[in-house]
Amino acid sequence: MTMWIIIILCGAITFLIRFIPLSGLLPNELPTSINKSLKYIPIVILIPMIINSLSIVEGTEVYLFNNYKLYAALIAVIATIFFKNVFATIMIGMFSFIFMSNFL
Amino acid sequence: MEKLKMFKQGILEELPLQLGVFPFGIVYGVMAIEGGLNFLQSFLLSSIIFGGASQIVFIQLISSFTPAGIIISSVGAINSRHFLYGMSIMPYLRELSLTWRVVLAYLLTDEAYAISIKKFTNDPNNSFLHYHLLGTGITLFITWQISTLTGILLGKHLPEFIDLQFIIPLTFIAIVMPMISSISILMAALSSGFSALIFNNLDLNLWIILSALIGLIVGIATSRFDK
Repeated sequence: MTMWIIIILCGAITFLIRFIPLSGLLPNELPTSINKSLKYIPIVILIPMIINSLSIVEGTEVYLFNNYKLYAALIAVIATIFFKNVFATIMIGMFSFIFMSNFL
Repeated sequence: MEKLKMFKQGILEELPLQLGVFPFGIVYGVMAIEGGLNFLQSFLLSSIIFGGASQIVFIQLISSFTPAGIIISSVGAINSRHFLYGMSIMPYLRELSLTWRVVLAYLLTDEAYAISIKKFTNDPNNSFLHYHLLGTGITLFITWQISTLTGILLGKHLPEFIDLQFIIPLTFIAIVMPMISSISILMAALSSGFSALIFNNLDLNLWIILSALIGLIVGIATSRFDK
C-alpha cells in the first residue's frame, strides 16, 4: 500500500512540474535566478547517485584500486563521449565490468 | 486535414529516436523487477511517472529503503527540467483548452520536446502545432510502454552472473555526460560527486540532498566563469 502511495505521489509531482508552466498561472518569464538554478538540478542529483553506486567508500574504507565498477564507469564515460548513445554506454560499461570481474 | 498532417509529421519525426528509447525502456523494466517491484507496479510506473531517468532513480532509492520524502523530492528534482520545457512552449499553446494543455503536459518528455520545439520555432504561426506535440508524445508513450513491458518479462530470464544493479549508474552516466556543457555545470558535477563520497555514511540517505545542495551552490557560484 505504502509503495502505491509513493508511486502516485511521484506521478503527481512529475505531472505538476510539467503542467504548471502550461496552466497559465505563471508570468511569461521566470526570474533569472530560478532559470539559472534549474539547469544544475538533474546533474547534482544524478552524479552523487552514480558515485554512491560505485562502492568507492564503504564504511571507513576507500576502494580506488581493484574497484572494477569504478574502472568500468570511467570506460562508460569515455564511451558516452564517443557514441552519445545510452544503449552503447550501458553495453560497453557492462561488458568492461564483466570482463574485469572474471578475467583480471 | 492540416491537423492530421501535423500529427503524422510529429510521429514520423519522433520515430528515429525510438531506437535509443526502446533499449532504455528494457533496462528500466529489468531494473524494476530486480529492484523488488511487482509486475503491476513496474508496468504502471511507466504511465504514472512516465519519465525514464526518474523511474530509474525511483527504483534505485526504493530498493535501498530510502524515506518516502527523499524519493519523492528526488524524482521531482530529476524532472525539474520539464518545467523549463513547459515555459518555452507555453507561448505557442496559450490559446488551447485546459484539456489539451493537461494532455500535452502529461506527454511533455525530453524526446518529445526535443523534436517538437524545432517545429514550433520554425513554424510559429501554424495553428495546429499542438497536433505535432501530440504525435511526438504519443509515439514516445507507446514505445515506452512496450519496451518497459519487454524489460519486465525479460528481467527474470537474464543470467545471474550479470550484476544488473550496475546498469543504473551506467544509465545515469549516459544521461548526465551530455548535460555537462559549461564550466559551472562541471563544477556542480564535481562538487556534488565529491560530497557524495564525504557524506556517504549519513543516515536516511541524506547524502543525496546534502550533495545536491552543495553542487547547486557551487554551480551558481561559478556561473560567472561561463562564456
